Amino acid sequence: MAARYLDRQLNIADYALGGLTRRLGKNLVVVLVFALVIFMVASFSMTTTSLKHAASQLLTTVPDITVQKMSAGRQVGFSTEAIKELEFIFGIRSVQPRVWGYYFDENNGANYTVIGVTELGDKTQLAGLGIDFLPNLKTDAAFEPAVIGRGVRENLGLGNRRAFSLFRPDLSLKSFVTSATFDAETSMVTDDLIIMDLKAARDLFGLQADEITDLLVDVANPLEIDNIADNIGERLKGVRVVTRERIGKTYRVAFGWRSGFGLACLFGAVAAFFIFAWDKASGLTPAQQQEIAILKVLGWQTEDIITLRFWESVIISISAFGLGYLAAWIHLLFFNGLLFRPVLLGWSVVKPPLSLVPVFSFADLLIIFSLSVLPYLAATVIPAWHSATIRPDSVI
Amino acid sequence: MRLSVKFLLLLAFCVSIQVGLIAAAHQQLADSEEARIKMVKAVEIFGLSDLCIATDARYIRHLAVSDRLAPFMDHPGSIEHFPTGSFWIPER
Repeated sequence: MAARYLDRQLNIADYALGGLTRRLGKNLVVVLVFALVIFMVASFSMTTTSLKHAASQLLTTVPDITVQKMSAGRQVGFSTEAIKELEFIFGIRSVQPRVWGYYFDENNGANYTVIGVTELGDKTQLAGLGIDFLPNLKTDAAFEPAVIGRGVRENLGLGNRRAFSLFRPDLSLKSFVTSATFDAETSMVTDDLIIMDLKAARDLFGLQADEITDLLVDVANPLEIDNIADNIGERLKGVRVVTRERIGKTYRVAFGWRSGFGLACLFGAVAAFFIFAWDKASGLTPAQQQEIAILKVLGWQTEDIITLRFWESVIISISAFGLGYLAAWIHLLFFNGLLFRPVLLGWSVVKPPLSLVPVFSFADLLIIFSLSVLPYLAATVIPAWHSATIRPDSVI
Repeated sequence: MRLSVKFLLLLAFCVSIQVGLIAAAHQQLADSEEARIKMVKAVEIFGLSDLCIATDARYIRHLAVSDRLAPFMDHPGSIEHFPTGSFWIPER
């Protein structure tokens, strides 16, 4: 019984494939356009999954709590006196002051991220970071050591030179010497970084002698992070407390269909789907009507014609899905998301060599399948029924 | 050979290519494990909070420690104008 049913379905599928091959040009165009839409949707979905995966893999060691001072709705610097206020909170393992800011390079329009830390001189602590330490250079004491990222080195046009200068707010020059550079393979977090001593960062940005921009709080028991964050918020007035969990949440929701680019991709998919539905519903050509009439005269039932139309839709949509999904994988894996990179990088002058490795996710596959193949099949149900109920004597 | 069997064989060929691509991606991730460990350490030592994907808009470079309103804070009547911003959704 099952074998007979399968044989019948294969026979109808054979006939459907034969019919599709007879109108090869038109059907090929339909498959290619449909595949292009699926390619765009799949590429976007896979790019966002890849970025989410990178964030979840790399941002596992972000500070437990980051404390920033807010004034008039904007982030401002504050005094290291605040550290004393935190000494009485039980459960805090350590508090690191930090100066964190941006340096806009007017020569080339690049934005660098400047971070001033306390332990830059400690090479043992920096071991294993992917930092290439350069031999000590005898320089004037005014030259502060700095560890720079690949993008900074490239945009400053240093070449083999190691000394560079940045402008203070009063336009006087502050000189640095590159003590080390980050490995290019760590670019996804270090590309635009200039790491320097806390005092040097204060001097560069014209901050007060005890001024900082962040406190990085390390908590002994991870379960206590939220309680300690609340406690810090109560003790230090007007601060913003960012927990590790919140940073993780930000990156989990940062990419998705609600973004402008995501909506553009979805809009394209929906528009293409409506065009297909309209094409299918707008009726059959006289030749197709005649074909159905002849089949009915030969003994085909209405059910058989509907099955035939169903198989045609399945073949077209599955072919387009396979082609589009495969192309999206090739786009990401071998071309590193070439088409999306201009949008992702935007007007960035420091361009990190972003490595987008696609990650297979069954949920993604199901979403793309549901957004493409299922609507196409649904859209062809009524036109299939219409075409199956043609009276042979009205056509022939 | 029947047309339907030929079509199924073509599908099987596409699926096998897909499986190969997934395996290649896994291999790429495995090869970058050493770099991942270095990056995780850099995040820990310097207290980094964000991925360095785009460096044009500050609120995209450091998304996790920016306000939702940051794109509109540059000047009165400011609108979000960085192309990069179209890829991201601010946290609610």
